[in-house]
Amino acid sequence: MRDHFAPAAVHLDEWRLRIEGRVAKPFELSFSDLVESPSITLEAVMECAGNLANGSAVSNGIWEGVPLSALLDRTRPTKEAAFLMLEGADSGRLIEKAPVLPYSQLVPIEKGAEASSMVAYKLNDLALPMRNGFPARALFLGWYGMDSVKWLRRIVVLSAEDREAAFYKSGMTSLYNRVVRSGSAESVTRLSTVQVKSAIAWPNENSRLPAGRHVIWGFAWTGTSGIRDVAITLDGGKEWKPTRLEGAASSYGWVRWSYNWEAKTGDHTLMSRASDRLGNRQPVKRDAGRKDQYELNWCLPIQCIVR
Amino acid sequence: MNSIGVCRFSASYVSVAFAVILGSLSPHSCFAGDCAQGLTTEERVAKFKVLDQQAEQAMHAHRVKEAIDFYQEAVCLVPKSARGLYGLGVAQAAAGDFLNAREALQAADSLMPNTPTPLVMQVRVNFSLHDVDALKGNLREAAERFPKDAASHKTLARFLAEKNLFVLALAEALRAEQAGSGDMNAKVQLAGLENAVGAHREAVRNALSIEQDPGPVGEVRASAAGIAGLSYESLGETEQAIDQLEKAIKFDPKRDNSYLALADLFDQLQKHDEAVRVLRSARENVPGSEAVLLPLGADLIRTEHYSEGVRLLHEVLRKDPQASEAYVGLADAARRTGNGAQEVEAGENLARLNPEYPMVHVLLARAMLAVQPANYQHVFEELSVAEKQTPGDPEVFALKGKTLFALGRYAEAVQPLQRAIELNALDPSTYYQLARVYQKLGKTDLAREQFERVKYLEASRQK
Repeated sequence: MRDHFAPAAVHLDEWRLRIEGRVAKPFELSFSDLVESPSITLEAVMECAGNLANGSAVSNGIWEGVPLSALLDRTRPTKEAAFLMLEGADSGRLIEKAPVLPYSQLVPIEKGAEASSMVAYKLNDLALPMRNGFPARALFLGWYGMDSVKWLRRIVVLSAEDREAAFYKSGMTSLYNRVVRSGSAESVTRLSTVQVKSAIAWPNENSRLPAGRHVIWGFAWTGTSGIRDVAITLDGGKEWKPTRLEGAASSYGWVRWSYNWEAKTGDHTLMSRASDRLGNRQPVKRDAGRKDQYELNWCLPIQCIVR
Repeated sequence: MNSIGVCRFSASYVSVAFAVILGSLSPHSCFAGDCAQGLTTEERVAKFKVLDQQAEQAMHAHRVKEAIDFYQEAVCLVPKSARGLYGLGVAQAAAGDFLNAREALQAADSLMPNTPTPLVMQVRVNFSLHDVDALKGNLREAAERFPKDAASHKTLARFLAEKNLFVLALAEALRAEQAGSGDMNAKVQLAGLENAVGAHREAVRNALSIEQDPGPVGEVRASAAGIAGLSYESLGETEQAIDQLEKAIKFDPKRDNSYLALADLFDQLQKHDEAVRVLRSARENVPGSEAVLLPLGADLIRTEHYSEGVRLLHEVLRKDPQASEAYVGLADAARRTGNGAQEVEAGENLARLNPEYPMVHVLLARAMLAVQPANYQHVFEELSVAEKQTPGDPEVFALKGKTLFALGRYAEAVQPLQRAIELNALDPSTYYQLARVYQKLGKTDLAREQFERVKYLEASRQK
């Protein structure tokens, strides 16, 4: 679990979510108002944009919450409305020399209006744990976790020209960017959709196994389209074989895969590689032109010794 | 009659006054059907009152269909009677006719907008209809129309908690608190719900504030301390959890649940002696508590007080022959004291009472194999059931292979042992067993290969 600042201690009886800005009808919700509203329940992966290739900053869960679109409809955004600024109750200095400000993110209003975007208050049928953003957080399925603001307390609807201080002075615009250099040109684009990725859960790096049959298994996930297949190599990428997906791959959740391996004596380099339904394929290596530390989704080799 | 029964009917019905009937009798407002033809207004009111009384009596006597008939006639006479419609709705709900009940209650609610009773009843009906969206709609409406009615929100919280809708119950408990319910029992309920939904920090905060308030009686403070203890336990803060549960016992030593929670926590910490101490104290202070017997019996066995533990577990079974967990303790005692036949007997009783008990058939097969001479046919029967229940359990196949080996059926033993290895490739004992099978079959190369793997795995473990 990643936080930018110390987790906020929010009390249920005091917590309110205010929605305001470029809207005809700003309003405020209590926790009771929120959980008594019509809700949706979806399975989804939550991954940190900086999660390592074999990292643990990723999880899968069943989220319940109120569709953000329903809350926005209630406020009646004006025709200038273009972005949502989401503000959390946690605060601090995001980068050196920045003032102490609440954690906030800026998200296009179209993403907020998607059927799957929600203000979540339950995870796996229980209230959100404190570190997951109790009592409520934004949730943008299929996007990296930094936009799904935890300890959510305010949503400000902004026009394209508005420059809300909490976001622009915090230094957030300098983070979570995809920086690609090609020759002398450099392009900077904001991160959003989770890139297709898979990981081997077993065996671990440098496992020593007896020769014979073993079941290699792991997980695969992607942004919004669902996993199509996962392939595995036992020889560092010379030959790829199909694995078996266990269960139907949902649009936002991860899927478990497995492969029955007749392990022969020797040193083996295992890698898994996922592809999604939009045709995106996990890269074997990191793009050399990438100058940032995000979207670390290349196929990670696992060394395995069989005797 | 279903859960929306007579008791709830009585309590809520009296609040719907007769006065509303008269207000609904204006010539403009009512369109009496055939039932009212030829009757004057006074006659209709008089007849309504008789029917209403008859319906109420029928409800109290559990003659629900009769009550429905009376109410339907009453409503026919006075179609806009809130009392009649409400009574009809409750009677229909009691009969399980939830759709019509909802309609009648909605009509009653529209006629008496200043009373929460029909709305509260609609929540119950919508729960029975599994219509969570409509139920939430009722709650939102209750919040909007009756924000200061702490009693109604408390009632709703209690109902929702009974139905395990804990987050919604919490929402209503918060509303009751914010409406100024004021009483400590409501605050305890709030803390309990916060614990139930996993909001443990909030539960601790509210529970400690009750505990530290000098006003509440011992029982209330004990509940608060108990909730704080359970919440600290969920947060992994065991010292504070123990401290709070001990306080709960001190505040109300006549309640067994605090002792049980504390003993359970000690068991999880593998401090079974402490668990025994707590449960013995429970027996002294709450002598009538039957809930204490089973955990105390099990803990006595864990702490090697076998005869006392076995005696207690037999007492549990005398009071409740279906207490399958008691057989788990008896099997444990028999295994620890090397009494294979008794272990098998306890396992067989457990399997008979609770065939789905986790691993019961595997444990029974293992116990049977330890008794000499072993009844191999029974072992195979148990393993066959175990394989159907848990086809991915390597121990099922390892035991099968071991049994076939013991019977000298070496060629047949190969396949289940190979399957056990497929399911768990890192257990050296299975390779060892397979090596011995190959030895018996004269396949020395294959035997050597398996022995090499045993050495390799044992060496890897030591690294």
